[in-house]
Amino acid sequence: MSPTRFASEHRWIYVGAIVVLVGMLITGILVYTQQHHNIQANKKAQELSGQLEAAGYRVPDQDQIVSTLGTSGGAVCASPGSVLKNALWLQNISNGAAGPGQRPVIGDRRAIEVEALILGVYCPDELVKYQDKLEEIKTSDTVKN
Amino acid sequence: MSSMDLPADGRGGPAAEVRTRAARAVSAPRLSWLTLALMTTSSVASLRAAPTMAVYGLACVFLYIVPAIVFLLPTALVSAELASGWDGGVYNWVSQGLSKPLGFLAVWCQFAMTIFYYPSLLAYVASTIAYVVNPALASSGLYTAIVIIVLYWTGVWVSARGTGAVAGLASWGLVIGTLIPGALLVVLGGVFLGQGNASAAPMNASHILPAWTGLASLVLIVNNFLSYSGMEMNAVHVSSLKDPPREFPKSMFLAMGLVLLIFILPALAISWVVPADQLSLTAGVMQAFDAFFQYFDVGWLTPVIAVGLVAASLGGMLTWLAGPSKGLLLISRQEGYLPPFLQRLNSHGVQQNILVTQGVVTTAIALMYAFIPNVSSAYWIFSVITTQVYLIVYLLMFVAAIRLRRLQPEHPRGYRAPLLVTLCVTGLVASAAAMVIGFVPSSQFGGGSVWAYVLIVAGGLLVLGVIIPFCCLRFRKPSWRTVDAADPAAGGAA
Repeated sequence: MSPTRFASEHRWIYVGAIVVLVGMLITGILVYTQQHHNIQANKKAQELSGQLEAAGYRVPDQDQIVSTLGTSGGAVCASPGSVLKNALWLQNISNGAAGPGQRPVIGDRRAIEVEALILGVYCPDELVKYQDKLEEIKTSDTVKN
Repeated sequence: MSSMDLPADGRGGPAAEVRTRAARAVSAPRLSWLTLALMTTSSVASLRAAPTMAVYGLACVFLYIVPAIVFLLPTALVSAELASGWDGGVYNWVSQGLSKPLGFLAVWCQFAMTIFYYPSLLAYVASTIAYVVNPALASSGLYTAIVIIVLYWTGVWVSARGTGAVAGLASWGLVIGTLIPGALLVVLGGVFLGQGNASAAPMNASHILPAWTGLASLVLIVNNFLSYSGMEMNAVHVSSLKDPPREFPKSMFLAMGLVLLIFILPALAISWVVPADQLSLTAGVMQAFDAFFQYFDVGWLTPVIAVGLVAASLGGMLTWLAGPSKGLLLISRQEGYLPPFLQRLNSHGVQQNILVTQGVVTTAIALMYAFIPNVSSAYWIFSVITTQVYLIVYLLMFVAAIRLRRLQPEHPRGYRAPLLVTLCVTGLVASAAAMVIGFVPSSQFGGGSVWAYVLIVAGGLLVLGVIIPFCCLRFRKPSWRTVDAADPAAGGAA
């Protein structure tokens, strides 16, 4: 069967899928919150950079930190201790599969611990819950520095 | 859902006529080898794993290449040979090479593990949408449940329209959700290095190999074998190709190349631009993409890639809905392993009732995931159990391939894998190693008892991979057989 006939047989499914995806795209672009550069955001980015450096981490570009985390920490600080976010967090400590082969591994200590620094600067109220989570999981040094 | 149910045992009259049409719809050539390659790639690879593996920097190449040699290559070449000689996919290969009950076990394991896969996949899709719309939504059980259920049942409806609908959406999902965004990441990564910036992750010889910390590193390397699981799954559609013996191997080789490129290059590109330590896991993989695009001042691309990831994930889900359930149907119709109700086809020749029954179970699991904290917190354990169950498929497939070379050496095959026995033994050892490593407690289990972990995983494996299929075999009835195994429309013996 030719691709053309394929397409005509399922035209409405394809049209529906395109409409939904384009709708999501437009909505996403309109409501996506770009973090703003302001004095407070720069100050927090500097604070985070200092803490990362002191803890021996590589320090990202300042603008990159400001644009991603802004003043509020962005998505990182959006209820990081909630049950469903915790479930996703646990599932993300996994191997390199993108399909049903996804399976938990023993995560890298530093990659997991660094989040405490981010939370400490941007949403310190959430830090305790995160530290509690850290105590419950087992890590190792699987990333070469 | 399609309007007409077809009794699989219809005798004469209009029902028989429609049944014949449905059988023709199943077996008629409908897919090009390129479409099948894209479907296979969509089943296995997406950008979802790129930030996770970018953490390992240059070592991610090693972490993908080694499993490719010991698991991807054997799986792809062996299934290319088997599909070029026998229709029907893994159930028929194992049925022919070992026995029909083991053929049922193989396709059951392939099918059963997907039930637990869909809620976690769709929860990830829900969190990806939430990231760009309103990150707080990702914490809402109601929002997550609605997204999972709506998307899952839409997927069931599309799958019930036939392989053609699935093939088109999965292929386009891969193109717009993985190939184009993946190419964009690689180009931007190249621009970053081309501007004279130093890579965020060291790219020197001492970082080719991952850190060695004993058991944790072994767990990481061996578990990565499973990154390639699913390469054989779409072989169930082999009879939809015009010239299966020649086209399926071509399709498999292209898929193999695409999967490797999709896994390795975007992960490397992210590791060049975003320091591993900034790849936050709490906010999910979108955080890494966001940080990546923010460097180039194109943050507006974050929602674009989010939509792409959603499209690719849903396309991949469609292939998983359509594949294993079809294999389960084909062997059950021949051998009567499932009651006639589950063997019914709709007017598109699709196993509608299997999909709906699976949907009911998946919906129940998804609701528990969304609303019961103990279930969502412990959901990661299901991915351990289901991957263990899936490995049974590979163990059976490799043994069956060796036996088929010995038992049926003259059976026409469009492609003969070189060094088949070596490939099978390699794949067999890799699968067995992954199964053994599956019993090593992961990060999520914390400091709990190793034996408790082993018992949980072994118990799950026993229930899902042994007891349930055994019950199906034990309680089957000869009267449940609805087609002759020799009937080519049944996708039987080739």
